[in-house]
Amino acid sequence: MHKSIDTIRKRVYHVEILPPKQDSEKLEADLELFEQKYRRIMENGYCACITDNAMGLLAFQGSELIEELNLPVNSDQIMIHLNTFHTKDNLDNILNFCRQAGIESLLIITGDGSDRLPKLTPSNLGETDIESVTSVELLKYIHRRYPGVFSLGVAFNPYEPQQQEFAKMERKLMAGASFIVTQPLIEKNHVVDLLIETYPLIPVTIEAWMSKKLHLLSDAVGYSIPEDAQFDPIENLKQLHRVYPECGFYLSLLGFKTQFDMIQEIWNDEKVNAFPREAK
Amino acid sequence: MITLSELEKSKYKNVWVVAELQAGIVLPLTAELIGTARRLADKRKSEVWTIVIGATNQTHPESLFHAGSDTVLVFEDAHLIGFNDELEANLLSRMIRKYLPEILLCGATSRGRAMIPRVAVETFCGLTADCTDLDINLETGDLLQTRPAFGGNILATIRSSNHRPQMATVRPKVMIPLSIDATRTGRLIYESVEEDDLHGIKTTLELHTGNESTVNLSDAEIIIAGGRAMKGKAGFDLLREFAALVDGEVGASRAGVDNGWISYAHQIGQTGQTVQTKIYISCGISGQIHHLIGMQSCDLIIAIDINPDTPMMQLADIAIVGNLFEILPKWMDDIRSDSIKKPAEAVDS
Amino acid sequence: MKIVVCVNQVPATNDAKIDPETKRIIREKTKAILNPFDTYAIEEAVQLKKKFGGEIIALSMGPEKAEHCLREAISVGVDRAILLSDPAFGGSDTWATSNILAHAILKIGKVDLVICGKQAIDGDTAQVGPGIASHLHWQQATQVVCVNEFITGRLIVDRMHENGLDRCALDLPAVITVVKGINIPRVPTLKGCLASKKADIPIWKHADLTISFDEIGLNGSPTRVVKTEPPVPRPSLTVKIAGTPEDCIKQLKAELIRRKQFALKSR
Repeated sequence: MHKSIDTIRKRVYHVEILPPKQDSEKLEADLELFEQKYRRIMENGYCACITDNAMGLLAFQGSELIEELNLPVNSDQIMIHLNTFHTKDNLDNILNFCRQAGIESLLIITGDGSDRLPKLTPSNLGETDIESVTSVELLKYIHRRYPGVFSLGVAFNPYEPQQQEFAKMERKLMAGASFIVTQPLIEKNHVVDLLIETYPLIPVTIEAWMSKKLHLLSDAVGYSIPEDAQFDPIENLKQLHRVYPECGFYLSLLGFKTQFDMIQEIWNDEKVNAFPREAK
Repeated sequence: MITLSELEKSKYKNVWVVAELQAGIVLPLTAELIGTARRLADKRKSEVWTIVIGATNQTHPESLFHAGSDTVLVFEDAHLIGFNDELEANLLSRMIRKYLPEILLCGATSRGRAMIPRVAVETFCGLTADCTDLDINLETGDLLQTRPAFGGNILATIRSSNHRPQMATVRPKVMIPLSIDATRTGRLIYESVEEDDLHGIKTTLELHTGNESTVNLSDAEIIIAGGRAMKGKAGFDLLREFAALVDGEVGASRAGVDNGWISYAHQIGQTGQTVQTKIYISCGISGQIHHLIGMQSCDLIIAIDINPDTPMMQLADIAIVGNLFEILPKWMDDIRSDSIKKPAEAVDS
Repeated sequence: MKIVVCVNQVPATNDAKIDPETKRIIREKTKAILNPFDTYAIEEAVQLKKKFGGEIIALSMGPEKAEHCLREAISVGVDRAILLSDPAFGGSDTWATSNILAHAILKIGKVDLVICGKQAIDGDTAQVGPGIASHLHWQQATQVVCVNEFITGRLIVDRMHENGLDRCALDLPAVITVVKGINIPRVPTLKGCLASKKADIPIWKHADLTISFDEIGLNGSPTRVVKTEPPVPRPSLTVKIAGTPEDCIKQLKAELIRRKQFALKSR
């Protein structure tokens, strides 16, 4: 089994970092900041999760950043997002690079497009019967082209209509997904409970929202969180640990000034790891 | 820049319309332009001339008198088959230098937009594109050209005070033609292509290559458009059925085109076409700004969506909350049954 | 092949919203972006260079911050760029703008092909491309969807119009304007962006071009904007219809009659 799946099973914190945007006015400074965050994640034994043109906003690729900045790659400490908004050439280049660099863990999502982003066509991936490419077709393609090389994860949205979301998950798992990451949770969620129950052998990692910016969270979860609701991301993470002791956590919008050190404490305090964490 | 004195300007008279043709057949846009030209010419106490570049035996220049022209000037020449923008521009420029029109109106179509800017440069004239209103400033006699700018956020009024002719392009279905007067006649002038006109022109190799069936969004009175919610080519087939029933055309948002469900020729929006049609029916298009910019000036906007709060549902005059795949078939049945019961019935104002 | 790509910076629309009361588009502090149609022009140039060799120069007329869009062009494979920037160019309409660009193209020298995006999304007149061709006395093809062939001195292209496509042969040098569908523009790479930051982009002013003062800026513009005003507002009321499909159609018909719109009928 891949080392990266072990990381997930050990519930090591997955910390999301966003690459600098293409239109950044201060690219060098942004690159430096990204490198610092990445290295801190490495030093603390967590897993760095790098997004792919999140929300359709043109940004640089994780693979490019690793190459240009000469970042260290430990296959159990890196996960790259990959969506369907690429040219075929670009997709193959990214996959090739990942294979050569030893990056095993890919989170496959359909993604958000925009004016500037090209989209994979069904014929690019050898498909004839479908109308447009989703994560399912991308999963199949990667397993076909690179059998046994990658560990592919998929997203689960408990806020979408349940039947559809489970039907999609079935298709994703049939296409070769081996782990699941959920949308942000702020409390116990019965749909996620059902997901865990339905697929006991597939590790489920739960996204924890680490920002105080509630309106963005409202967009993600799809229902309005009252403006004056007190939301303490750290308390939320602790609560999620208690409620989902068997799941790992995917931390989005983690603050690197104070929060980063606090999660270290949570990790130690809660004695949440079933396996002893190896010092890196 | 050469500017004209008042004396020089006074030598320019008459309002010209460049006829919009397809294989020699005069298209409806021409009558719309003539209607406007007539209104302007009356204020200037001058004539309306219609310039036909590329006449064939399908042209029937007398119809242009019926539509309101006083003079019709015709070029009929084998070199004009198809669309040769350099040649047409050369001819028009030469005619302008010969006859000195005061105002020149042309269609804001692919052909007009390619050809007229060349003429404007050649003759040192001001050209305003996509005018939604044209009028005469009674003090100065100048043409006031109004057009939307900044994605329709403002209306700009433009003048070309010191140059003649003053040129403007107008999209189809924006201006109103006069009623046809079959008794009207006028003067017919035939002009010929000269050797110098042929200098520096392109060669057309093939007309109508490709299997693209023609998509003319700007001529449609009814457009029914879809995007992501169509979920595939089949969704657009439903829209095609509706469009065929009401003699309309199918439009698409960028999502529909990017997904390969319908060709780019149908795209409406900032990077597609802008339409000002009578009735725009949006099917599940959420209404991102770059799409709205392409259709916000339509007379009547009807939106169908399962989500009542999208920007398109806010913009629409009539917002129908429901499943478009259930509503459209019902609507079509209704239209069909109405026609069977009362074939000639239309509630027109 | 020596290719000049004319590019333009325009306001971004992603930040705009609709005001539900006035139904008008509210623009927030707008960012400037590369005109979307120009990305197709740049990509076409890059692909032609790959096939036939040569050099690509990106050209833009605008304020100094317009160099940003020139760097974007370099980041995807354009060789070099020139910015035309001078207060004297300000106030230029399409006649003057195409004149200035044409003179810059002459100064660059020995250019085979000029590629422009079909139109800028803010001005959207589509006049500059043909204007450049006319100033230079070159042939042109607008709304090109495919460049088929290049044989020395000649380019064969397909262009799109309301009645389909036609195929024509242009004698080079010539100007083409391109539309979406001609290619899929590549996304800049990090390597490309870092390289473009180092690129030296010369700024050409009025004095650098042999062009008289009365053919640029306001003096060189036969058109003048004399007034701007907000557009006629749409009626602010949205009639909402809901219910079963049958209900909806009934209500729709009633509303159409009320508005004295012809009820849609089969033709």
